[in-house]
This record gives sequence, C-alpha cells and structure tokens, in this order.
Amino acid sequence: MRRNYRNRVWASVTSRDNALLADLQRVLGDRVRADSAERALLRRDASVFEGGDAGPTCLCETTEEVQQVVRIALAHGRAVVPRGAGTGLAGGAIPLGAPVVISLSRMNRIVDVDTESRIAWVEPGVVNLDLTKHLTPLGYHFAPDPSSQQVCTIGGNVGNNSGGPHCLAYGVTNAHILAIEVVLADGEIVTLGGLDAEPSGYDLRGVFVGGEGMLGITTKVAVRITPNPPAVRTLLLSFDTPRDAAATVSAVIAAGIVPAAMEVMDQRITIAVENYVNVGYPRDAGAVLLAEVDGLPDGVEIDAQRISDIGRAHGATDVRQAQSDEERMLLWKGRKTAFGAVAQIAPNYYLHDTVVPRSKLADTLEEVYRIADEHDLAVVNVFHAGDGNLHPLLLFNGQEPGIYDRVHAAGAKIVEASLAAGGVLSGEHGIGVEKQPYMRQMFSDDDLDHQERLRHAFDPACRSNPGKVIPVGHSCADIQSLRATPEGVWG
Amino acid sequence: MDLGIDPDRLGTCVQCGLCLSSCPTYRVTGDETFSPRGRIALMRQVQLHDAPLTPEVTEAFDTCIQCLGCEPACPSVVPYGHFIEATRTALTEHRGSRKRAIALWPLTKPRLLRLGSTLLAIAQRLRLVPARLGLPRRLPLRQPPHRTSGTDVYLFTGCVMDVWQREVHFATQRVLEAAGFGVTPTGDSAGCCGALHTHAGLAADGERLTERVDAALDLNIPIVVNSAGCGAHLKQHSSHQIFDAQEFLAEHLDRLPDVTPLDLTVAIQDPCHLRHVQRAHLPTRTLLKKFVRNVTELDDDGLCCGAGGAYSVLQPDMSQQVRDRKVASIERSNPDLVASANPGCSMHLAAAGVAIDHPMVIIDNALTRR
Repeated sequence: MRRNYRNRVWASVTSRDNALLADLQRVLGDRVRADSAERALLRRDASVFEGGDAGPTCLCETTEEVQQVVRIALAHGRAVVPRGAGTGLAGGAIPLGAPVVISLSRMNRIVDVDTESRIAWVEPGVVNLDLTKHLTPLGYHFAPDPSSQQVCTIGGNVGNNSGGPHCLAYGVTNAHILAIEVVLADGEIVTLGGLDAEPSGYDLRGVFVGGEGMLGITTKVAVRITPNPPAVRTLLLSFDTPRDAAATVSAVIAAGIVPAAMEVMDQRITIAVENYVNVGYPRDAGAVLLAEVDGLPDGVEIDAQRISDIGRAHGATDVRQAQSDEERMLLWKGRKTAFGAVAQIAPNYYLHDTVVPRSKLADTLEEVYRIADEHDLAVVNVFHAGDGNLHPLLLFNGQEPGIYDRVHAAGAKIVEASLAAGGVLSGEHGIGVEKQPYMRQMFSDDDLDHQERLRHAFDPACRSNPGKVIPVGHSCADIQSLRATPEGVWG
Repeated sequence: MDLGIDPDRLGTCVQCGLCLSSCPTYRVTGDETFSPRGRIALMRQVQLHDAPLTPEVTEAFDTCIQCLGCEPACPSVVPYGHFIEATRTALTEHRGSRKRAIALWPLTKPRLLRLGSTLLAIAQRLRLVPARLGLPRRLPLRQPPHRTSGTDVYLFTGCVMDVWQREVHFATQRVLEAAGFGVTPTGDSAGCCGALHTHAGLAADGERLTERVDAALDLNIPIVVNSAGCGAHLKQHSSHQIFDAQEFLAEHLDRLPDVTPLDLTVAIQDPCHLRHVQRAHLPTRTLLKKFVRNVTELDDDGLCCGAGGAYSVLQPDMSQQVRDRKVASIERSNPDLVASANPGCSMHLAAAGVAIDHPMVIIDNALTRR
C-alpha cells in the first residue's frame, strides 16, 4: 500500500534505459517521456496503490507504433504496461519493475459508426462519455457507463470489463464488445471476435475482455451501440436506513421489474455529493435510492409507480421524480462523482468492489459498518444495489501513523465478510494489485493454475502487465520479468 | 521549495482523475504531466517532499492555461485556481520576475499603451507586422474619445481592450443606454485591473492595480465589465459590485427594446473565466436569443480555446494545439458567427480565421440594424 513519498529516491535515467530510449525515440520522436516528473506521476492510478517508477512512457498514436514499442521492449527484456486515463481503482495500470508504459490516450479516434448494423469502431483512448456524446445526435449511446465515464477510456473498459449504474439492465462491457484488435506480447497483431452474430471458434474476445492488460494491448474495438430509450423516469427515494433501501432493491427485482439502474448512497456520501451538485439530495435521509426505468412511455409510467409503491411499503420517507432532463442529469452527476467527492470528508480513500447476493445485501452492509467501527475508520457506502455490487469506501488521512495497517485489516475483513455471504471479489474494478492477495480465498490452486495457463497461452513470457491479478508466488515467470521488487504495494 | 500553498488544502485532491477531460492541455497531449491531477501531484512533490524543480516540472506548471475548467469538474471542490496562482507566484519569484514585470508594465500606463498601439497600427499598414503574431487584423490609427452619459453604472474599460477593441466598449455602452442606463466609462483613472499580472505570477502588482481601480471609483455604482477575464479577477479581488455585461443585462432583459432578430446562427464560445470562474455564462444565451435567430452550442463542453491572456504568446505551441481543437468544434457546429465575451479569446480565434464578435457587438448590431 501507499507509503510516504519522502523516502523515495528520485529516479534518474540509467544507462540501461538510454539504449532502450534511443530505440523508442527512433519510432516515436518526442512522444517518449522518461523524465523524473513523468516517471513519478505514473506510479499511481486513481487507487491508493503506488507502484515503482515507470520506465519510459510512450504516447502511441497507431497500432503499428504500439507493435513496434512492444517489440523494442521485448528486445530489451522489458515488460509493457498499457495505460488509458489512469482512473483504475485496483492498481491495474501502475508500473511494477520499471516497465515501458504504453499510453493509449492519444489513440482517441472514433473510426467508424454504422447505425444500420449498430456497430462503432473506436480506438482504445476514446473517452467513454465522448463516444456517447458522439452517438447522441444519431439516437444511440454506448451502454456501459462507469461512474468515471467522463474520463475513463474504452480500452480501460475492455481491460476491466467495466460496469456502471445502467449495466443492471444492459449488461457490463463484455456484452457490448464485438471484436478487438490486439497487439500480443510478442508484437503480433490479431483480431479477436468478429462482427458476425455467431463468430466461429472459441470466444477469445470473451476471454480477452477483463484481461487487465495481461493478455495483450487493445488497439481498436468494435463496440455495440444501443438505441436511446424513448422514455426515461428517474426516481429518488429517501429512507431512514441503508437496510430499508437495500430491502426495497431486493423487493423491486423480486417483483419482476428490471430497472435500468438502481443505486444506493448512504447519508454521509449523499451530503458530500449534494454539496457539489446542489440538486436537492436529502441531507437528512439515512440513505437514498436512485432508481431509473426506461422503455416505452406507458411501461415506464407503470414501473415508476410500482417502484414508488414498493419503496413506500419498505419505509421510504419520500419519493421524488426528476421533473426535467436537466434535473435527471444532475442527479446522475451526483451519483457518478461520489468517489471524487469524498475528499470533502478525508484526503484518502480505499475502495472495495465486492459483490454479494442481493438477498444478503442488507446484512453485509451492516457488517461493513461494524467492521469500520471496530477499526475506528470512517466508511461511506455507495453502490450498485441492483446487482449487489458493494462499494464501501474507507476514508482516512494517509499522514496518520499506522493508518494503512488499520485500513488494510478492515479491507481484509470486508472481503472476508463478502465471500462468506457467497459473494465474489470484484464486480467491475478488476483485481489489479489490490485484490491479488485475496485471490486464494476465492480460488483453489487448480483454479489459479488454469488462469495462469490461459494467460501463458497469450503471453508465454509474462511481458504484458506482469505482477498483477494472479497472486505473487503462483506465477514464477512474472517474478522473473520484474526488474526490481515491487515497491510500495501491499505486503 | 515552498510554493506557499496551504498543505491541508493541497491534501484535498484524492487523485480520482475526474478533471482530466476538462483540461485542455491534457486533452491535446494525453499526458498526465499536463493534467490538473498531475500538476497537483507535482505541487505536492515540490512543496511537501522537496522534489527538484526540473525543467519538466516547471514546464508542467507553465503550460497550465489557468482556464480552471477543472474546478467545476472536481467533486471535492479542490481550489486548483488558488494552487496554480500560488505556484506561479513562487516560480516567478524563484526565477526572477523582472522580465515579466517589464513586459506587463505598459498595461499600467494607458498613454504609453495607446502610443505603442498607434505605432503598431502604422507598422501594420506598412506591412511590417507578421500575421502570425495574432494581433487584430487592422488596429485603429486613432480612437474616438469615451463619453459619459450618466452615473447608473460604470463601464470598465481596462487596458489593452480599450486600446485594441474600444468599439466593443462603445457597443456595450450603446446597449446599456438602450436599456435606459446612464454610463460612465472608467477610463485612465481606474486603468488596468491587474488580472494578467496575477496570472503571470506577479500577485503583488495585480493587487496594487486592483486597489487603484477600487480607489478611483464610487463604491455605490455597479461596475459592468465586458471582458470575462477582467470581470473574474475583479469579482475575486475588488470590493465593488462587479457584473459581467451579459449577466447584468440579462437581469434587465425587459428594458431592452424588441427588435427583429438578426438572421444569423451564432455559436457561443464561453470564455473560461466567464464559465468556470464567474460561472455566469448562461445569461449570454438568454440575451442573445432575443437578438439572433439561432443560438447554438459547441460540442466540447466549454473547453478552453487556448488564448489564456498572455498564454498564447508565452506557450505558442500548446496554445495552437488547443485552438485547433476548438476550431474543429466550431467547424462541426458550422455557425455564421461565433460570440465570445472576452477580448483575448476573440483575438486568438480570429487569428485562426474564425468569424467572431463580442455578444455586445452582436446585440448592438441588432439594435441599430447595422
């Protein structure tokens, strides 16, 4: 976990790097950066985890450039790490062992939109929300909408198989990816999947989505585009306790309604969010449920009414319906920026992403609050209630001595409680380095062996984003490819 | 090195990255070093952990346009504007402030500024001034004088704008008068507001100039400002009642005469200091809709145009890349005319061939049917 910057030696470019740099510069010119500022900044993504210094950073613009960089890195015995906007929450893009960082943020062209076939070809650096904005005038959108959608990139969405509030009805990223052009770890360019409804052979596209950069680097993606619904209703329900909100969510699903989204926030985070968006989130409610239904006008009217009734039957103290698109957008803006708003409460956060069966949601939540109390930590909960995906944020001040040990311990307990409730480690943020130590709690040695073999099928030498996901000690080749012991991460 | 930022406030960034898309320099480079999150991380390293001020670190700070698009994007309301202003001031002191102070000195001397401008205007007519400098296409040789029509409001005339775009002041005055307000142009006694000095890291000079403005004017009379950058600075630093021109007039829309709207499609380019700092960009729409047939929005969510006061001169490469992005957005919107309420933005975009006018000029044209 994060340690203090103070103990760090500012990295300088070593002579070994000079030969590598010269080769990279031949391909990319001044789009290679290897100064100490850049190397230090890329130690982090949006999580609390901090890797070692990055090696040279390559701002690639084409698939061929990515291919050449991968080959040059390979020739110099160095690993590669792909990076988009760096908004990951599990340390998936942080550098371990001074790898060459392949930044894809400049590969941000929307190559082709075919509304007839409902397919768009995009480059990996396209910002998720930019794609939807581009599609809006055509009557379409890209359905996966992670909370960070205003900045996160499609490449990162593919790498983490990202979810988002509206994935409750529409499915996560995997359901919206048809084909992926990939540069494999040896520099070969392949296309996984295809545009046919039922591509022949193994579904390697499905294997690759969620691969966290360990199976190769995404350089182009064919995404499915979704028609905008004719009608949308957004409800904001207030409750005295998170338990009531969670019970409402279970009851709504049990009643056979499939809302587009159902999101819960507890009181502390609701107040922080309201401070930012000023849209009238209730500051005095113990929890709020943001529920959205979309579809044909008559249907959404009925569903909105039913959700409202179910809410009131489960203790909703107030039900409000967004009266305009503007109000709707502001309510969502509040929900989607919740993680960023926590700095109003404390300067650091550590966020978990476990998923539990919906029926266990209320109990697990109470357990989370208890664990935080026990470790004398502040916690806020904001989560995709509809699919049981918890996002407890432990809030703390990293400057406090010994605080990381407490945060670490509380995090482990939360994972334990979630797994005990029949849950899984990650809903949508990926494993990265964050959940790596918990993998053994979830998977047997046999499971991990198979995951490792699959990874080797794509990347036999473990050069692509090494040191992530599969627990250290299980994967020998990963250790060999790390130039130095990873510094500053867990353990 | 101490950048003079309150360490507790510096700690309020959780590095979530939600600011990245609203940063023009990150948008064109895709490079973390040129993002608000990256710059704040570097400020922390420099101030809290004694990281060296390498050329790359100072470049990261120098290339910030200070558009503050990141501030409304930040859910934790991190005061980035305060951070970068303090950083610039510390850097300027560290590197020596003489050059900048000399470059900005004429702004405080209106007569000298006018003389310089006249010389430039002559040089332009002799074709001695290269177009790439981005100056207005034809600077005026001689300026008609300001006139006072009453004391309902002040019209803040400032420094460079009064010399290069005095016609915008005249237009603003006519629109204010059409709404029944008697106008006193502030002229040389109030002078420059000090915004450019503060942004260039000369905070003390900026403060002194703002104090001069305050001292020269009657506290009871509202000051109407038609330059978004000056308005933003004065709202933050002056003790007087400051209004942006559109903001002021939109409140008095019913006092403006009904005329046939101009048959134009006008795209609105919000100056950053109107949108992100004053957060008073919506009145421009309210107002323009009364006077032009069609008002459209650009599709880039108010991203900066790259002008940034003196930025376009100090960082020409980055400034042009940012402008290219803006021009592409304008081309997609395909308007007859662009409206921008800041002299720096309109000069910067006009230099790239964009047809652009101040909203006050457009409204004045509608009122006088010119």
